[in-house]
Parts: sequence; structure tokens; C-alpha cells
Amino acid sequence: MQIHPILAALRRHKAGTLLIALQIALTLAIVCNALFIIHQRLAHISEPTGVDEPNLFVIENLWGEQYSTEEAAAKVQQDLATLRQLAGVADATQSNSYPLRGGGWDNFITMKPDQISPTTDSSIYLGDEHFLRTLGVKLIAGRDFHADEVQNMGLRQNFVPPVTIVSKALADKLYPNGDALGKPFYSMSDKPTTIIGIVDRLHRSDVSTWSVPFANESLVWPVRDAQPWGVFYIVRARPGQLDAAMREAPKALYAENRMRMISPKDGVQSFAQIRHLAFESDRGMAVLMSIICLVLLAITGAGIVGLTSFWVGQRRRQIGVRRALGATHRDILHYFLTENLLISLAGIAMGIFLAFGLNLWLVKQFSSQLLPLVYVLGGVVLLILLGQGAVFAPALRASRVSPVEATRPA
Amino acid sequence: MLKMTHLSKVYRTEVVETYALRDFNIDVKEGEFVAVTGPSGSGKTTFLTIAGLLETFTGGEYHLDGIEVSQLNDNARSKIRNEKIGFIFQAFNLIPDLNVFDNVEVPLRYRGMKAPERKERIMGALERVGLASRAKHYPAELSGGQQQRVAIARALAGSPRLLLADEPTGNLDTQMARGVLELLEEIHREGATIVMVTHDPELAARAQRNVHIIDGQVVDLAEDPRFHTAYTAAAGQVRG
Repeated sequence: MQIHPILAALRRHKAGTLLIALQIALTLAIVCNALFIIHQRLAHISEPTGVDEPNLFVIENLWGEQYSTEEAAAKVQQDLATLRQLAGVADATQSNSYPLRGGGWDNFITMKPDQISPTTDSSIYLGDEHFLRTLGVKLIAGRDFHADEVQNMGLRQNFVPPVTIVSKALADKLYPNGDALGKPFYSMSDKPTTIIGIVDRLHRSDVSTWSVPFANESLVWPVRDAQPWGVFYIVRARPGQLDAAMREAPKALYAENRMRMISPKDGVQSFAQIRHLAFESDRGMAVLMSIICLVLLAITGAGIVGLTSFWVGQRRRQIGVRRALGATHRDILHYFLTENLLISLAGIAMGIFLAFGLNLWLVKQFSSQLLPLVYVLGGVVLLILLGQGAVFAPALRASRVSPVEATRPA
Repeated sequence: MLKMTHLSKVYRTEVVETYALRDFNIDVKEGEFVAVTGPSGSGKTTFLTIAGLLETFTGGEYHLDGIEVSQLNDNARSKIRNEKIGFIFQAFNLIPDLNVFDNVEVPLRYRGMKAPERKERIMGALERVGLASRAKHYPAELSGGQQQRVAIARALAGSPRLLLADEPTGNLDTQMARGVLELLEEIHREGATIVMVTHDPELAARAQRNVHIIDGQVVDLAEDPRFHTAYTAAAGQVRG
């Protein structure tokens, strides 16, 4: 190996060497953190919700008149009956929110009424006896709501119903031994609610980064949302009938009662649209981080190509001398590849510290997660491959320098 | 040791063919000290680059230490350059980024020699040229004469069968040139085969045999007493 003479030569070219090493260090630090963020965002985007997304759509129905709780509840019942009668509709329900809506209602959950520090946080859905069936959520333990358990909740009314259906994630958080069914908990009230059913998965309505650790912790209360301003109708179309049902549903509702507003722009949204909108910022961040990574890698690669090309030009005679003294094409190629590897390793050593430093800052400032080592290792491999790839063409040019260069005038 | 028979070197462009060497014949025996002289453009350097396997030739035969080199690939040529030939260039051609020790080490590393043997050979060669104490110095810290001595040490360290010197004193003042020349003579007396390209008559006169090249062809002065007399007289005038 030629490491000693290469290091000796690099010591005589400190400025160029240091600049490239620093560039590699900075690129490594940013790229591994960016790759981690990209992975987190992509994982977030592809999170399953537990609902029958391909066949679901949501109607945001705003009332055109001021209704009392009872009137609003009756109107909701009437609308649901209308929707369920449509040919393309398998079932319909009402709610205050739906998974991936972005926002919604969430409560701290405690095991005792006077518990100060909450056990967890849960998204709260108001639903009737059609809620689980309409959303296509899988009930894995206990039972669904009975129609007579469903209560109306109007303006300024706030109560905790005696029975609740929870997601498995929430059940496991509250009762880690797997015996949550039939057990109580408290939701910001001194009255307990009892778990009567557990569903396999039901994503929260909010999608913000803070809620990622609680992404699947949600519960359903047997409550009819009878607010005076409006309600969400969640409709499950029969397979293959989604588009037709989305067209027909608002028409049917307007035919039933014109005193409502369903925005022609986004008043009716398929779940695919909901998912697309919910993760728009995650997608944007992933794209931005990808662009930053690519630009940084391209700049670093170009820097290595530029510096090596400059060095090859500068050392043309020296390469000729080496060839004259017995170096083969391969020896010269190895020389430049090894030289780049040494610079890259120096940059990588600095970059690893920078990467963890940057991550700690992100953790402190933005509650990010700790950077797993695998991303640093991935970044190291990427930078080494980039360096070796970038240096290959100029190194190949160098290896083709004829030994006769040694006899040419300086 | 070095035998070229009807050797030719042609540089071709789209419109013209230029013969740098034509029907070139030379036979250098083992242990000889041959000076190759000739006017500028006569083909001296081309001869040296072909002799040193730095360049290929167009026709004819070239045997180096009994090996016919025309069919050798680049790796084999590199190996022969490394093991059998020591180069001394006019411009010294030391690597400025490496110190004296590392410069002398370059050909030995390409030979794949182990570190202890390399060190022994390097220090031996540097002692031979009187520069062992300058092993950690960089070329820029040495005089021209010292740099050329380092280059000679680099050439000697690999114990080559043939030393090829291209105007070895061309960049040196008279005193330094004399020192380098005495060193070459000493190396020759110890049995080395040396082929030196020069157009310095004094230097040529110190060689065992002179070979004169004109228009890419050899005129062996040793075999032509008229030329030999004229040349040595000229050398004597220069010396005087």
C-alpha cells in the first residue's frame, strides 16, 4: 500500500485536502440527518389507518339554518337514511372527525380520576352503531355499539359516555397485559367509561409530528354529533362505485334538504384525497430533503472531480516519472483512488461527529428522534462510493499518462 | 545488454511521416559506459525513451538483457523498467511532495519490496551518493547537484542492470556537474552498464565509447578513427 507517501504528499497540499475533507464532513452530517428525516416522513406518509380507504369518502355538511341539538340530530338521522338508500352506498355514518383529517378532538387519558400526569393521549371520534361497519374497522374483541346506546351531543354539551370502543394500541397502552376489555379509564372527567370493544387499528385524526408516538391511539364514543354548524358524513361505497357514489351523495342530500352547504371544491373528498392532503407537508419535506441531499452530493462529487482533475493536471510530469520508475496503469489508478479514500475517511471522521451534533441540535430544538447508527453507516458508504466514483474518471486519465512525460521539458 | 537492430520510430500525422529513428543499430555490452551524442533533433532523446521502454518503436528489434521487448504489454514493460532500468533525468524529476527518503523509495514500492529491505537499500544508496544525512529533506531544500545525486540514488537503489542518463549534468553548474560525473564513473567502475545521452563533448569524452546519432541513424565514433580523433580533440579544447 502507498498510504505513507500519499499522506506525505497530502501534507504538502493542506488547503485543498482540508477543503474537500470539510465538504465531505458537512455533506455526511447533512445527508445522514436528511435521509433519516426522509425515512421518517415516508414512514409517516404510508402509515395504515385501519379503515377501508379505497371505498370511503367524506362529506363536510354545513347546515344553512340554526338547529337545536334535537333538530340537528334528527336532520343527521334523516341524511344518513338518505345516503344509505343510494345504490352505490354500502353504509354511512356521522362523526365529528375521521382519520387523517388533521386536527380533531383529543383528550388526555388517565387510569384514575385524580391522576395528574396522563397515561396517554387519545383521538376521540363520535360515532353511532354504523361507525365501525362504515369505516371497515375490524373489531377484534368485545362488541359494537347498540343503537340505544347512542346519545346526541349538541352545542356546549360535554359528557363522557359510559361505554367506549378503543383501538388495540390504546387498549395495550392502558392495560399492557391484554385484559382491557370490560375495564374502565378516565378521559378528563371524574366519570369512568368502560371498554366494550377493541378494534384492530384506527388511526388518529391528527397527523402532526408530535402525535406520531400515539398515531393509533383512538377511541369511539357512542355519540351522534348534533352541533348546530354541521357534521361530517363518512360514506362507504360499494366496491367499484366510489366515483358514482361521490357524485350522487351530495345531489341526494340537496334533494332532501337544500338548507345546507357542501363545498363544490372540497366538500366531498375521497379517502385517497384525504390521505394526499394529510401528508402534503411530509411529502414536501421529503422532496426538499431529497433535493438538498442530491445537490450536496452533486456539489461534493463535482468538488472531488475538480480537485482531482486539477491535481492530475498539476502532477502530469510526476505521474510520468512514476510510470518511468515502474508504476503500472493500475498503480496510478490505485494511487488516486487511495488518495481520495484517505481524504474521504478524514472527512467522514469529522462528519460523523458533525452528524450526531446536528442530530442532537434537531432533537433539542425540534423534538426530533435520535439518529440511528444505520443512517450514519449508510451515509459513510454513500460518501465513500461518491468519492471513489467521482475520482475514477480523473484517476483513469492519470493512469493513461505515458511514462515518456518524464522526459518532456518542465 | 542493449541491442537494437534496424530499429525505426515513425511519427505519423494525416499528411506526413517523420522518421525519428531509421535503421537504427546499436549494441551496448554489459559493463560499458556509452555516451550517445548528436545535434538537437538527431533522435537522441527518442533513442533514450525507446531504450528505457518509455515509448514503443515502429519497426525492427530491441533486445534488453536478452528479452525481445517489442511484444511486451504495458505491465511487463513497467516491470522491466522497474527492475532492470535506472533513470537519471536532466531535470532530476524528483517528486517535490516527497522527502529524499520517500523519493528514493518510489521504485522500490512499485516492486513490492518489504519495508525493512526498502529501508536498507534506500540508506545504502543515499550513503553511496553522500546524502544519507539529508534523507528527511525535501527536494526544494537541496541544491541542483544534491537533487541529481538523489536521483542517482533512486536509480541505484533498485540495483538496475542498466542506467540510462539523459543529460545528467545539463541543469548543473560546472562544479556540480563534475561531482555528478565522477559519481557516474565510480558507479561504472563498479560494473554498472551506463548509457548517457549528452551533447556535452567533455562529458561524452569521459565515456568509454561514444555513439553519434545524426538524422536518426548511428555513427559509431569508436569505429571511425577520423571522427574519434576530431571529437576527442574538440573535447580537449573544451576542457582546456
